[in-house]
Amino acid sequence: MSKLLSPDRSTVLFLGNEAIARGALEAGIEVATGYPGTPSSEVIESLAGVARERNLYVEWSVIEKVALEVAAAASFAGLRSMAVMKQNGVNVASDFLLHLTASGTRGGVVLVSCEDPGALSSVNEGESRYFASMMEMPLLEPTDFQDAKDITKWAFELSEAIGNVVMLRSVTRMSHASGNVTCGKLPTKRRNAAFEYDGPVMDSQTGPMISTPVMAKHLLRQQKLKDVQRMFDNSPFNRYTGPAKPDLLIITSSACFLYSCEAVEMLGLQKRVGILKLATTWPLPPNLLEKYLRKAKTILIVEEVMAFLEENVKVLASGIAGRVGVKTFFGKYNGALPFAGELNPDIVADALGKILKVKRKSLPADYQTDVQKTAALIPVREQTFCAGCPHRASFWNIHNAIALDGRKGFVCGDIGCYSMAALSPATGYHTMPTLHSMGSGTGLASGFAQLSRFGLDKPILAVCGDSTFYHAVIPALINAQHNRADITFIVLDNAGTAMTGFQPHPGLAVSALKDVVPAVDIAAICKAIGAKVAVSDPFDLASTSRILTSFLADKGSLKVLILRQACALSPEKKGKKAFDVKVDESLCIGEACGCNRLCTRIFRCPALTWDRDTKKAVVDEVICAGCGVCASICPQQAIVKTEVSAPG
Amino acid sequence: MIKKPGSQTELKKNVLEQSLCTGCGACVGLCPYQVFYADRTVQLFDCDLPEGKCWAFCPRTPADYDHIKKSLFNMDDLTPEIGAVKGYYFSRAFDPRLRVNVQHGGTVTALLELAMGEGMIDSAVVSSRNEEFEQHGLLVTDQNQLRGYSKSWFTVSPTVAAFNRIPDDRKKRAGVVATPCQATALAKMKTAEIPGYNGSDLPGLVIGLFCGWTLSMEKFYNLLGRYGLSITDLTGMDIPAGKNILELFTAGGLISVPMAEVDHCVRTACRYCMDSTAEFADLSVGAARFGKDCEEMRGWNQIIVRSDRGKHLFELAVAKHVLQIREAPPSALLELKNAAVEKKKKALKNIVEKSHSTKNLLYLKSDDPVVRKYLGVEKKRKGKL
Repeated sequence: MSKLLSPDRSTVLFLGNEAIARGALEAGIEVATGYPGTPSSEVIESLAGVARERNLYVEWSVIEKVALEVAAAASFAGLRSMAVMKQNGVNVASDFLLHLTASGTRGGVVLVSCEDPGALSSVNEGESRYFASMMEMPLLEPTDFQDAKDITKWAFELSEAIGNVVMLRSVTRMSHASGNVTCGKLPTKRRNAAFEYDGPVMDSQTGPMISTPVMAKHLLRQQKLKDVQRMFDNSPFNRYTGPAKPDLLIITSSACFLYSCEAVEMLGLQKRVGILKLATTWPLPPNLLEKYLRKAKTILIVEEVMAFLEENVKVLASGIAGRVGVKTFFGKYNGALPFAGELNPDIVADALGKILKVKRKSLPADYQTDVQKTAALIPVREQTFCAGCPHRASFWNIHNAIALDGRKGFVCGDIGCYSMAALSPATGYHTMPTLHSMGSGTGLASGFAQLSRFGLDKPILAVCGDSTFYHAVIPALINAQHNRADITFIVLDNAGTAMTGFQPHPGLAVSALKDVVPAVDIAAICKAIGAKVAVSDPFDLASTSRILTSFLADKGSLKVLILRQACALSPEKKGKKAFDVKVDESLCIGEACGCNRLCTRIFRCPALTWDRDTKKAVVDEVICAGCGVCASICPQQAIVKTEVSAPG
Repeated sequence: MIKKPGSQTELKKNVLEQSLCTGCGACVGLCPYQVFYADRTVQLFDCDLPEGKCWAFCPRTPADYDHIKKSLFNMDDLTPEIGAVKGYYFSRAFDPRLRVNVQHGGTVTALLELAMGEGMIDSAVVSSRNEEFEQHGLLVTDQNQLRGYSKSWFTVSPTVAAFNRIPDDRKKRAGVVATPCQATALAKMKTAEIPGYNGSDLPGLVIGLFCGWTLSMEKFYNLLGRYGLSITDLTGMDIPAGKNILELFTAGGLISVPMAEVDHCVRTACRYCMDSTAEFADLSVGAARFGKDCEEMRGWNQIIVRSDRGKHLFELAVAKHVLQIREAPPSALLELKNAAVEKKKKALKNIVEKSHSTKNLLYLKSDDPVVRKYLGVEKKRKGKL
C-alpha cells in the first residue's frame, strides 16, 4: 500500500508535497492535474500513484492553463479537483484564472503553486501571491507538514463555501522537506459528476458558468471575500506564540515561520519576541491582526520573496492606526530583510538582532578557520550536462554549424536541462544568449528573424525540449511560419520531461496513469505548419552537422530539426551502456599539437578525465554512460568504442 | 619576427582576420580546431597551445621564403621572376584519350600517372568537387582513377588538408597537385623546424599549377546569378589568351564575362600573392597562351622543370612518350617572366597599401632579395608612407 493511503490516525513521514496530496485525498478529490515543474511535481506524481486505488483521474496536462481548465471542468460538474504548478505556471494559467474567479466554481477547486524562492531550480524568482489579491481569491500558506495536509483538506471546504477557487502556496523548503503528519480519514463516498447549466444566470449552482454579467459577478465575488475574512479571523491555522506583551511582533507565513522560530531561539528572545503565524495570507484576517498589532509597537514581517504580506499588513494597519497606534515596521522595504533569494534562520536572526540590538553568539574562532580550510578542499564542480547527455552532442553540433556558417548566428534558448547551454563559459561550445519562459525562445527567434530588414542579418536559431514544444512553442512556431520568419528551430527531443523527473508528455504513448494513449508527433505538427522538417540522432555527429549546416545555408524559410535521443538518465536507458568506451593510450597524443586535449578541454564530458601523470585522456567507466560520442570527436581515433552486446 | 612561432590565435589575428587566408588547407586536417567550409577556413574552437603547425605551415605567416627556396632548389637555377628553372617547355599528354576533357594539354594528369606507374609515388592528392560544387582535396591511390580531376574551376580547393590527413608514414610517397600557395605551404612543411618533427622528405612530388588568382565562391556565385546561371550549369571555365575575358562553358553555349567584372570576384587574399608559377613545386604547369598562336596552343601546356626530382620525372615522361614536347621560344619565357613580375609588383603594391609601410610587408620579409627587387620604392622613401 502506498504510504499516501496510510490509515486514519497513523503518523507518517511525508514530503511536503505528499502532505498536500494526502490532504487532497482526505478532502475527497477526484480530479488532479498539473504541469511538471520543480518544486511542484511530486504532488501529481504521488496522486497518480494512488489514482487506480482511489479511482481518481490524474493527468499531466500540456500546459498549466489547460491543467486549471481541466480541474475547473470537474469543479463545474460538482467534483473536487486540484491543479498543481510551479510559480511561473500560475502566470501561464492566469488568463483563465481571471475568468474562473469571475464565473465562480462549484465543487471545491484548489490551485496549488509550489514556488522556488532563490530560484534553486528555476530561471526566475517569480511570486504568485499577488495573483490572489489581483484576482480576489483566498490564499493559504501552510507553515509545516501537518499544516500542509490539514490546510489542503480545508481549502476544498473553503472553496465550496465561497463558490470560488482557492490558492495554496508552498515553497521549496516546504514541498521538498519531510516531516511527520498524523493522517485523517479518507472518505469512502464518491460524488457523481453532473453539470447543470439551464438555471438563472446568477445561480451559482444551476446557471451557466460564465463571467458575465461582469459587474454583478464581480460584486458577488467581493461579498464572498467578507465571508472569507470572517473565516480567516477564526481559523485555527493562524496562531500566536510568545509573551503577552512582546517588544517585537514577527508576522510571518510559510516556511519563514520555522526560520523565525529558530531565529528567536538562537538569540534567546523567547520572552521578548512574539510570532504571529499566518496561514491565511489573503485576504488578511482583520480582527486577528488588530488584536496582535495592539500587542507591540515594533513589527517585523518575515516572508519570501516579495513584500506581499508586508504591504498588506501595512495597508491594514494604517486603516486602524487610530485604534492600534502607529507602528514601526521592519521588513523588506526598510532593508531589514532582502527582497530577493531564500531566507534562512541566520538571515532572520541577523535582522532580529539588529532591530533589538542583541548580539548573536559568534562561532568559536578555530571553528571558523576550520571551515575556511575545509572549504578549499571541496572540489570545484561545473554545472554541466551529464555523461551521455544528448544535449552535449546537440550543442556540439549547433556550435559547429554556427561556426561553419560564419555569420555569427545565435540560439534563442528555452527551459529545460539544455538551459545550461546559457552558462558561460562552462564548456566552449555552449551558446544560448537568450533564456526566458517556456516557448519564448521560439517567439524571440520569430522576432529576431524579422530584424534583417533593420540590419540584423544573422542566422537565427531556437531550441526547445520535447515537453516544452507541446507546452508553449506551437503558437510561436506558427507565428514564425505565418510571418515568413527564417529560423532554424531545433527540438531537443529526449523522450520525456527529463529535468523534472521523466513525466510523460503528449509525444509519448503513455499517460500519467500509465495508460496507453495516442502519441502526438512533433514532426507531423511541424510539417503541417509548413516547415521543412528533418529528424536526426544528435549522437550521429556527421549527419546532424550536415543537416544543420544545410539548414543555416537555406535562407528564407522555417526549418525544423528534431534531434531525437533519450536522456541518459531515462528509466529505459539508465545503467545500460550502448558502448564500452576506452582510450587507447598509444594513440592518444594528449596535449600535443594536433589535439591539445579536445575531449577533456573542449568536449568536457564528465566521464572523460585527464591523467596528469601519463598525460593521456582516460574514460571513467563508472561515470561513462556509453553513448560513444567522444569516439567520433577524437582526432586520433584514440577513443575506442565497442558495442555492448545485449545480455542473455 | 620571422623565427617566432605562432599560435592558432595569431593565425586568426594575422591571417584569417586580415583576409590573407588563401584557403590552401595547410592548417586544416592537422587537428580538430580548423576546418574548411564554403570557401573559408573556420576555427571551430580555441586551441590554447602557444605554437602550432597551423601557424608554421601557413603560406601567409611570416617566414624566410628566400631561405626556404635556397634550401630546396639549386642556387644556380633560381630566377627572381619565376623561381628555379631547370628547363622550360611546351608539353601535352601523348595519349589523345587523356587530352579529352582536360583543361589544356593534360600534362599534369600524364605526369601523375607516370609517377604512380613508376612507383615514385603511391597516391596523389588532386582537387575534386563535392555535390555542393565546393572544391576539396581528394586522395587518389589508383593510377587508373586519376583522370577526371583535370579541370580548373578557379575557386580555391583546400588541397593541403587532404595531404595532412594522409597517415604520416605514407606522406612521403604522396604526390600533390598544388597551386602556388599550396606549394608554398608544402615547402614550409618540408623545412619547418619543430621539435620532434621532420618533414624534409614530404611530400614525394609537388606538381604546381600556374595561378593568377582564385575566385571568392560567394562573389562568383553572385556573378553567375547576374548571368542567370548557377554553378551547376557550368561544364568548364577558361581564360583565353589576349581576350581579357573569362569563358564559361555551359550546355546552352559559351558565355564570356569581361575581366573587369571577374576582378571584383577575386579572393582578397590572392591580391597579396607574389607567386603565379608555383615556385616551390618540383614542376610547374600552366596554359600555353602566347601571342598569335594562342588558339593553336590551346591544347598545350607550358611546363617549368624546377627540382632534380621534377627533372627526373620530366625526362622519364619524354623518354617513355608520355609527354609530347615542343621547344618553347625564348619570347615565350620572357612573356611568362614579365607576367610573373607584374603579379609580384602588384602584390607588393597591395601589401604596402594594406600595411601602410614598406617595412611591414605582412608575411614577407622586406630584405628578401626578390621582394626588394620588385618593391619599386625609392630608397629615400622607405619607412612609413
